[in-house]
Amino acid sequence: MAIVSLALKSLLNRRATAILTVLAIALSVLLLLGVEKIRTEARASFANTISGTDLIVGARSGGTQLLLYSVFRIGNATNNISWASYRRISELPDVAWAVPLSLGDSHRGFRVVGTTTDYFKHYRYGRKQALEMDDGAVFDDLFDAVIGADVAAALDYQIGDAIVVAHGLGAEGFSKHDDKPFRVSGIIARTGTPVDRSVHVSLRAIEAIHVDWKSGARVPGLQKTADEVRAMDLQPAQITAAMIGLKSRFATFSVQRWVNEYRREPLLAILPGVALQELWDLMGTAEAALSAITIAVVATGLLGMLIMLLAGLGERRREMAILRSVGARPRHIFALLVAEAAALTCTGALLGLGLLYLALLIAQPIVGAEFGLHLNIGPPTGRDLGLLGAVIGAGLLAGIVPAWRAARQALTDGMVVRV
Amino acid sequence: MAEPAIALTDVRFRWKSDLPEVLNIADFRVPAGQRIFLQGASGSGKTTLLNLLGGVTSPQSGRIRIADTDLTALGAAARDRLRADRIGFVFQQFNLVPYLSLIENVTLPCRFSSARRSRVALGLEDEARRLLTHMQLDVDVLDGRPVTELSVGQQQRVAAARALIGQPELIIADEPTSSIDADARAAFLELLFDEAKVTGATVLFVSHDSGLRDHFDQTVALSDINHAA
Repeated sequence: MAIVSLALKSLLNRRATAILTVLAIALSVLLLLGVEKIRTEARASFANTISGTDLIVGARSGGTQLLLYSVFRIGNATNNISWASYRRISELPDVAWAVPLSLGDSHRGFRVVGTTTDYFKHYRYGRKQALEMDDGAVFDDLFDAVIGADVAAALDYQIGDAIVVAHGLGAEGFSKHDDKPFRVSGIIARTGTPVDRSVHVSLRAIEAIHVDWKSGARVPGLQKTADEVRAMDLQPAQITAAMIGLKSRFATFSVQRWVNEYRREPLLAILPGVALQELWDLMGTAEAALSAITIAVVATGLLGMLIMLLAGLGERRREMAILRSVGARPRHIFALLVAEAAALTCTGALLGLGLLYLALLIAQPIVGAEFGLHLNIGPPTGRDLGLLGAVIGAGLLAGIVPAWRAARQALTDGMVVRV
Repeated sequence: MAEPAIALTDVRFRWKSDLPEVLNIADFRVPAGQRIFLQGASGSGKTTLLNLLGGVTSPQSGRIRIADTDLTALGAAARDRLRADRIGFVFQQFNLVPYLSLIENVTLPCRFSSARRSRVALGLEDEARRLLTHMQLDVDVLDGRPVTELSVGQQQRVAAARALIGQPELIIADEPTSSIDADARAAFLELLFDEAKVTGATVLFVSHDSGLRDHFDQTVALSDINHAA
């Protein structure tokens, strides 16, 4: 169409400012789509932290708190649950499997999880993916430890390395179970979940390193050597939480009710999916703030275009007068400016989309390695296209301002401009 | 007698009701096919008259006819279409659209007027080349360069080619030669007239420079026909 080709030629004639304007719009679109991408991927990854577990059981507290310490290994349990209660739950007819978790110790900033080998059998993340060993095997000996990928990478551990578990989660070197060192028996392949940052030992080992401890301190005169504890009965009296798998999902609510109404001990059972959703919703404000910022950046990009088009009108009065003299109507002048705004915004939006894929290609391995977040590279989603459409629509609306001014100016100037 | 190319009757114009009258023309006719020299100093209402003839502005009263059409009876859109279809303009300077090529500048009116486009028998570009060559411009050398690099004289000849393309029945030139030197003026007029004669177009030439009047069929002083105070 005649006007569109005029608009494109006019922009090419002002390439320097046009390119800068397109770049500003492209960068703002890159930010808009990039933040959206990371937000949805982070949300998906967050929701994928644990799957295949129907219920998590712990001492009665908040559901979010239980999720945080049992799955994310953030914060502490205020109470434990007794081994007897755990046994009763695991023997319920609807329960297919139960994995105990004993938390509270750490190794150089990484949480130590006391559990059973069932943990490696039943823990699922993402799309029901099971844990896989990168190297070595699950714990067999009492003092074997299986470490996550982040632990191995950060501390440069190999199979066979000795590690000392610290009591509690406090500062290093305060009180260590240094008389009973562990040996790294296996390294779990990267999962992108808190498993990567955990050290897994057997539940009996947690008992073993605490046999000569009471109330958080070593009891003098009661010290037992590693060999002595091996001979002992290391049945734990308490655990921190348990992951439960059910034979049928339909039993979820009845088992949850059974646990929550359990009389001998105040317990809490949560559905991981629901608790994850609640936890994510807590971050809604931060998400909204981030979205508001990206929208403001897009508005800034479009304002840049508005400035460029408005500033150009003064020196284009003669051009408009020539167009009028050869028969252009004020609506042609209007269309010319709107077409210029459309061309700038569309080019900027498409370039921004291109930059997004470039950035994803570059960032995918880095983000995967550093944050355990897998950025999926696929075609633009409906939401991406919606956002692009909204940007282009906003650009067209913004273009109405200079277009209206130019048309009015052309009307008063007529065919002869005395400048 | 054939209908005049331009006929003004009792035309009065002022910019605003509280401003003095700029034009008051009782009767002004330009016979079809003639070359008329309209002489007027700057500030005598020349620009206003051109805007009225082009239909860009309208008089408060009176009639303006372009051939068989009463301009003052038309709405703004119809006046814009009439200008596009039937009038070619050449101005004093800055005639060219800076971002269009030599050829594109010449064919520009055809983008806005299908009537002028349909009157071009050859391809548009061939016709533009023919007109430019007739205006003694070497298209092969000049095309491909930004039109802003052309000399003023060359730019005026491009503007003349643009005014002529698609055979409009009326050519209105507003001081087209005042930016070019005296030798080139006469040559410019000859080329313009040659082409206008082929199509039978009427030429209204507006200038303050009475030295050019000998080239025309008739000379009219704007001060004689404009009775505005």
